[in-house]
Amino acid sequence: MTLPSYVARRTLLGVIQVPLVMCGVFFLAEALPGDAAVTIAGDNPDPAIIAVLRERLGLNEPAWHRLGDWLAAALHGDFGQSLVGPRSVVDIIASAAGPTLLLAGLTLVLLIPLSVGLGVLAANREGSRLDRLITSTTLGLYSAPEFAMGLLIVTVFAVQLRWLPPTAVGTSLLSNPAVLVIPVFVLLLRPICSLSRLIRAGMIDAQRSEYVRHVRRIGLSPTRVRFAHALPNAVTPAIQQLARTIDWLVGGVIVIEAIFVVPGLGTTLVQAVAARDLPVIQGLAVVFATTTVLVNLAADVAARVLSPTAEAGR
Amino acid sequence: MTVVDVRSLTVRVGSRDIVSDVSFSVGAGEIVALVGESGSGKTTTALALLGESPSGAQLTGQVEVAGSTVDSSNSPPAGVVGYIPQHPSAALNPVRRIGPVLREIARLHGGGSPVQQRVLDALRQAQMPDGSRFLRRYPHQLSGGQQQRVVLAHELVGQPKVLIADEPTTGQDAVIRAQLIEELRAVAGQGIAILLLTHDLELVRALADHVLVMHRGSAVESGPCLDVLGTPQHQYTIRLINAAGRNPAAPPPVLEESTPVVSVRRLVAGHRRVDTLHDISLEIRPRDRIAIVGRSGSGKTTLARCIAGLHPFRQGEILLWSTPLSPLLRRRSFSQLARIQYVFQDARASFNEFVPVLDQVARTAERLRGLPRAEARARAVDGLDRLGIAEANATRLPGSMSGGELQRAALVRATLAEPDLLICDEITSGLDTVTHADLLDVLGKLQEDTGCALMVITHDLAVVAGLAHGVLLMDDGRIVEHGRTADVVALMHEEASLGSAG
Repeated sequence: MTLPSYVARRTLLGVIQVPLVMCGVFFLAEALPGDAAVTIAGDNPDPAIIAVLRERLGLNEPAWHRLGDWLAAALHGDFGQSLVGPRSVVDIIASAAGPTLLLAGLTLVLLIPLSVGLGVLAANREGSRLDRLITSTTLGLYSAPEFAMGLLIVTVFAVQLRWLPPTAVGTSLLSNPAVLVIPVFVLLLRPICSLSRLIRAGMIDAQRSEYVRHVRRIGLSPTRVRFAHALPNAVTPAIQQLARTIDWLVGGVIVIEAIFVVPGLGTTLVQAVAARDLPVIQGLAVVFATTTVLVNLAADVAARVLSPTAEAGR
Repeated sequence: MTVVDVRSLTVRVGSRDIVSDVSFSVGAGEIVALVGESGSGKTTTALALLGESPSGAQLTGQVEVAGSTVDSSNSPPAGVVGYIPQHPSAALNPVRRIGPVLREIARLHGGGSPVQQRVLDALRQAQMPDGSRFLRRYPHQLSGGQQQRVVLAHELVGQPKVLIADEPTTGQDAVIRAQLIEELRAVAGQGIAILLLTHDLELVRALADHVLVMHRGSAVESGPCLDVLGTPQHQYTIRLINAAGRNPAAPPPVLEESTPVVSVRRLVAGHRRVDTLHDISLEIRPRDRIAIVGRSGSGKTTLARCIAGLHPFRQGEILLWSTPLSPLLRRRSFSQLARIQYVFQDARASFNEFVPVLDQVARTAERLRGLPRAEARARAVDGLDRLGIAEANATRLPGSMSGGELQRAALVRATLAEPDLLICDEITSGLDTVTHADLLDVLGKLQEDTGCALMVITHDLAVVAGLAHGVLLMDDGRIVEHGRTADVVALMHEEASLGSAG
């Protein structure tokens, strides 16, 4: 299969997957007890008001009808109105996407060079004290959940040493970049560990291979051998892990956003669930599903480009 | 002019000498062959010219290349000594295109003419006059022979004084071997000294000026090629030459009238959308020994895999004792699976590296023939013992056994299933001459004992001549020749010489 036809096939698969997830989300929301009318009617609802609301919101229509309407509207970029406020779902998601994307983007920009560097460094001195230090630290950090690390770091650096602000409450992220330092650091900790360990393992395999020994004998410089000959063979497994990481970051790292009070997608999801704001939950589910599909598509295509033998494989 | 001068080279690891007191010299344009079985110290000797030694080894003696001394702290300058490793496909980076790597090496060496020009020159020297066609390809898009020439070009770009070729003919078919002989001759013609490490005596005869026979680290005999191979003095040399040229006793005749064990009728199979086997029909009778020969990519292995159920065929049918077999492995019964056994080219890859060899050998009898565990184990011990693998040895992991031992264990594993047809896919490639001859003896004996039919896939005409009754010559997915061994072998010799001339 050539690359363009592979991309086309994978894209088509994605185009089918997203609506399927949307249907799944719709029916899960249907299965919940109560509905939007009950939510809007408040704590001490009058059955008459609920009936009126149901009529006005079209909730008496059969589920298939409403699913069709919802999918058709979503296709035009309209996910309806929030139940708890005057804003539209698209508006809410758009304003929350900014902080999440900023955090995710910053994390990625730092993540890739750092984990490649650490992995190559450890592989280079395989078995040395530096290697053991890097591998045991990364294993330890990977085992620590991010909320624990987050709280620990806030306690030490923000509360006791007072070097950095502990949360993003009341400031805009861009005008006061110092509030981003701790969240980005905490977000980096676990992905750096998994990625650098994969790169290290791949580099060790590649460095032991006959083709690396061959170009070394020919006399290419160690830097060229490492980065131009060994590294391209080592990154393929790391790319799939990177895709999962991006997915995790964009999916709104709920715990991190909650700890640092960042008004991103994760916080929005938590609030929408608490308020039973179904249209917002559905909209977010669509955003997360689309991201997952797109990121994995990109990763598969990248892995394919980087390992040309895949084309010849069975 | 002497380019390589080695005096009393000794390489010691612990208290053992892997190379002891070896001396030789190679002049410009001369071809010297180091001959010996695997583990005889050939590669260690050759790597000393690059200033490389096994870890923990002590080198004594004098190695001079192009007038300067080489030892572990003084490697020769980049490009002076070119080394072509045993498997050229492993020396090519799977994710880098041919052109950029060659250009990178060319830039490293500097020189007057533009980089692209030097790359194309090197490819031309390596017998690839149309080299520019290959620059944008990846290694897996080249044939085995082309890969070998690209690796040769890697070395020629640096205009080396010495070229070391380590077992260059291992696993190559007759046509590629003939081309390789031309290539190396042309390289020597340009005044480059060549050190050939090989156990292929035919190659030595065709190329070498001088021969050094190595056995357990020492040079047991050396001299001009014709003298050493023509009138060998040392006992080991005589054994080596006999092992290579031997023709075992003619196999017993086949009962022509019996029902075929396996008949293949109008078989069509392929990979993806392309058919690679077209309309294959053949019959294998009990106790038959058939050799399938042909160049790489001719469909030999695909045919064997179809028969064994490892590759689903598209059309036609395969009958086992007149019962049709399913194209899919999982639709075949255990007894059908037991009746057709397959021994793979890479014995090491066909064993799980984390399970003792004995357990894996016994498992076939247990699973395919339903024997109780203790009995299966006893039979496995017995079978391995008969092929010279002691029980103490067999309870170890595959990693601690040699390639030859594993190949024998794989044969025992297959025969424990009591097959009616045993398929052997290139099982001798990568083994040195003595091990190789042993394995053929073993195979012949096994077949006589069990009475199964044998189907051998090979590049090696010596295997064909020594073992088979009949030969199928395949080309481009078709059987192009089907006949008695002697006729087809003669025909193939002719084709190989035509192929190298063209």
